[in-house]
Amino acid sequence: MKHAGFFFVLLVIVSALVAPARAADPRYPDWPCVQPKVPELSTASMWDGPSIADVGGSWQNDPKVKDLVALIAARRTPMDAAQKAIAAFITGTADEKQQKAKEVFAGVFDTLSAQRSEVMGGLERVSRKEMDLATKIEADVNDLHAIEDKTGADQAKIKTLGSEIEWSTRIFEDRRKTIRYVCDVPTTIEQRIFGLARAIEQALN
Amino acid sequence: MWLRFILGIALALLLGGQASAYRAYVANERSNTVSLIDTDSWKVVKTIEVGQRPRGIAYTKDQKYVLVACGDDDTIQMIDTSTNTVSGTLPSGPDPEFFTASPDGKFLYVANENDNTVTIIDIARRAQNGAVQVGVEPEGMAMSPDGKILINTSETTNMAHFIDPAKREVVASVLVDQRPRFAAFTPDGSELWVSSEVGGTVSVIDPVKRVVKQKIEFAIAGMRPDPIQPVGINITSDGKLAFIALGPANHVAVVDVKTHKVIKYLLVGERVWHMAFTPDGKYLLTANGVSNDVSVIDVAALKVVNTVQVGELPWGIAMSDH
Repeated sequence: MKHAGFFFVLLVIVSALVAPARAADPRYPDWPCVQPKVPELSTASMWDGPSIADVGGSWQNDPKVKDLVALIAARRTPMDAAQKAIAAFITGTADEKQQKAKEVFAGVFDTLSAQRSEVMGGLERVSRKEMDLATKIEADVNDLHAIEDKTGADQAKIKTLGSEIEWSTRIFEDRRKTIRYVCDVPTTIEQRIFGLARAIEQALN
Repeated sequence: MWLRFILGIALALLLGGQASAYRAYVANERSNTVSLIDTDSWKVVKTIEVGQRPRGIAYTKDQKYVLVACGDDDTIQMIDTSTNTVSGTLPSGPDPEFFTASPDGKFLYVANENDNTVTIIDIARRAQNGAVQVGVEPEGMAMSPDGKILINTSETTNMAHFIDPAKREVVASVLVDQRPRFAAFTPDGSELWVSSEVGGTVSVIDPVKRVVKQKIEFAIAGMRPDPIQPVGINITSDGKLAFIALGPANHVAVVDVKTHKVIKYLLVGERVWHMAFTPDGKYLLTANGVSNDVSVIDVAALKVVNTVQVGELPWGIAMSDH
């Protein structure tokens, strides 16, 4: 019986941890973050410059644009270095500058939006695993209670099941901390797109 | 003669320069700081450490203090504007988010997000002076220009509550769209505007009949409706233009107050929340929570003319009178 109290508390904690993630937004039951899920970004919320509707994927045809996008989209490139690289590239006549700005922004938006979708998909995958694990811990704790409640309970079985629950809980807790950390990444990517969009517009004006 | 002329010009320039230099205090919700911006240089000249989760922020009427609601500390801190340090506290209820003052500046009405009350504080005595029960998750607060009606919006009840400050009771409630965040009267008191974050609208209420007479909707080309979440409302002192902060849509809508029509959308920073005019009405500053900056809008030109980096998650702005 000595495990019963501890595992009951554990079960309550695990249930409480899983519940808010499930309840946050009924449209996205697997979304584990406090931050609301915005599935897709729109260029209109980031970009005040000329329309990029006619650019499509054509920015990838120019190796110079492709290289610049790879450089400025990378998180390791400091923002001021990215701004300088943008200003150095967006030069020429007004028409040339406009075309370059459109292609660079389209490249930044496509690249970083794809990264953001990948991170968000990963978060939902881990979140589903976490919910499955919570269900398993719940079932194991119930099994343990059932065994402990019997007279002449099998102590070896209790010990094995007990350490399994402890192990699962540790994994659960580690994953939860990782999820919380990764939940900030989509926002960090949005900040990057927004900052680069501003720098491109500044170079254009 | 010439010397006097030159001195006169120098003096005029000096006074001119001083006249436009106001001080804007920006509450940074995540970094637990307040950034002090000089509106002449558009630079942060000081960062003040405050309590946890600072959000609602405003000057006292005598300009001696800037009050900041520190939600996670369950208190309102007083920043002494002569030293720019926290020099005292006011006793709010749990999780204060937003507040407004009586027209004489003596009382503060505080929306406490966690206990469904509006706390009344006597600022001079630094003591509570009563409370009014309102709806669930009270947030927006506004005082009518004549000081006779206090408005509180409750996020979960979706209502604008009309409070008689003398009787200290709710005398009427008007249903608005989902998650009402902020309330503002037009300068002549003839209209009350309430923003609904989830509903995506601003309800224009007749404060005498206490009915919604029109709802303002927003649409930005190329954007889905869900990020369009109206929060802050600032109306020019001549009552002609209203600026509505649209949250994660990253835009401010400019609305003609007379016709209730949107005349322009301005791209500012990410998650634009609350705003403040400079006292001369020339500029509107917007707190942009995700891009961690403040955008400066030229009100006459309806153009963003500057951006100032502040702390993390800027929420609201208090502007000096001079």
